[in-house]
Amino acid sequence: MLINILETAFNLIITLNDDLFEIINLSLKVTLSALIIAVSISIPFGAFLVFYKNKFQSFIVLIANTLMGMPPVVLGLLIYTLVSKKGIFGFLDILYTPTAMILAQTLLITPIVISLTYEEIYKKNKEYDLLLNSLNLNNFSKLKTLIYECRYALLTVALTGFGRASAEVGAVMIVGGNINHFTRVMTTAIAFETSRGSIELAVALGLILLLISLLITLLIKSLRKIS
Amino acid sequence: MNIFPLKINNLNYSVNENTILKDIHLTCEKNTLTIIAGNNGSGKSTLLKILHGLIKVPINTVRWGDYSTSNIKINQSMVFQTPILLNRTTYDNLAYVTKKKNITEKFYVEKIIEKLNIKIISDINAKYLSGGERQKVAIAMSIIGSPKVIFMDEPTSQLDPAYKNEIENIIVDLSNNGVKIFLTSHDISQIRRIGKEIIFLDKGKLIYHDCIEKFFKDKHCDLVNNYINYG
Ligand SMILES: Nc1ncnc2c1ncn2[C@@H]1O[C@H](COP(=O)(O)OP(=O)(O)OP(=O)(O)O)[C@@H](O)[C@H]1O
Ligand SMILES: [Mg+2]
Repeated sequence: MLINILETAFNLIITLNDDLFEIINLSLKVTLSALIIAVSISIPFGAFLVFYKNKFQSFIVLIANTLMGMPPVVLGLLIYTLVSKKGIFGFLDILYTPTAMILAQTLLITPIVISLTYEEIYKKNKEYDLLLNSLNLNNFSKLKTLIYECRYALLTVALTGFGRASAEVGAVMIVGGNINHFTRVMTTAIAFETSRGSIELAVALGLILLLISLLITLLIKSLRKIS
Repeated sequence: MNIFPLKINNLNYSVNENTILKDIHLTCEKNTLTIIAGNNGSGKSTLLKILHGLIKVPINTVRWGDYSTSNIKINQSMVFQTPILLNRTTYDNLAYVTKKKNITEKFYVEKIIEKLNIKIISDINAKYLSGGERQKVAIAMSIIGSPKVIFMDEPTSQLDPAYKNEIENIIVDLSNNGVKIFLTSHDISQIRRIGKEIIFLDKGKLIYHDCIEKFFKDKHCDLVNNYINYG
């Protein structure tokens, strides 16, 4: 039984089944877009926070840390209420589109990336603060140096964000709607296919997700070694 | 630009109720090599950081001629007691400072490497350097851009005797060429060799400030005598 399922699953993967390919393709597109947006906002922002040793900084860090623990379904629900027909952003008409999914994943990982970036830059700043001040650098120059010095750690942060976003199911289900050939991604497909008993496709997708997770882990491990 | 006399006026510095520097009044008239001495924890490094503007104090406590510390910080550099180097090669560390000082001269880094005699470590990442080698690179970084004032916090504490001599020659050379050097050291023979003026701190208080010859002739309290005898 299990052997048969695995066999069929492997076959689907090896023959690059159209449905499977489409789903993986959309997943990667959505998650990578979310990652790029989240990272380009969060890394400079998280790093910049380090220079503000005041209430604003502790407040933002607190918020980011709190949002990190927010269940994705709740986030999905929140975005749903905002972008559904009656919501304040209803006019954008993005509910049940990949755009809404990108939005959800972006918001999901932004706090994580901000918080982890802040931590990394904070540590490095402690190490280099005196040198950078002695060289009379302005905040922007300092930031560039610190981000460069943290580059491997920040790549790890980005990979962590990617892992989080690609594994998430609740939020994209709510705002994307799991529409076949349009908003169906790996995680929502797994939930859907399993529920209707077509377990082979689900297992194939599960294997791919595991593979992605393995790749990320290996990448993070080798990045740790370099830095 | 005349940064003399350097005047420290009623300098007090404390962290969480711990007094680190207390009632320091001081005037340095001349541009000579000034040693800052004193036991561990007496406040030497803290004083250097204050003079370099890395620790903020009320603006009128430190005046360099007509300038405040923040005005002339750009003309100062510092060798930290524990060298701080970026995670890149010696060459790239020097190139980084050169770039930040807006120096565009060709082969400038090469010249510094030559001057400090550190060619053999120029392609090694700073994280692999030995303690003494790190100190050499930090000293090299501090002379980039010909600063007017260099703060050196025990810059030769880990150097071998021959290289220490090379560095002392460089320091004396800089001083003779009008660079103001503040140097902390626990090495009495070094203080004798290169010092011109000495400031002695005890638990954050200034207990002696005069020229070196006088320092070694004067009668002192036990604390200073021990420093001189065992140093
Ligand atoms: N940020 C700080 N918080 C608490 N105590 C501090 C702080 N900075 C310095 N001190 C204390 O101030 C005193 C002076 O420190 P400083 O580093 O200036 O000493 P030093 O004369 O350079 O000593 P050494 O010869 O060991 O280098 C020490 O007792 C140190 O513990
Ligand atoms: Mg010290």
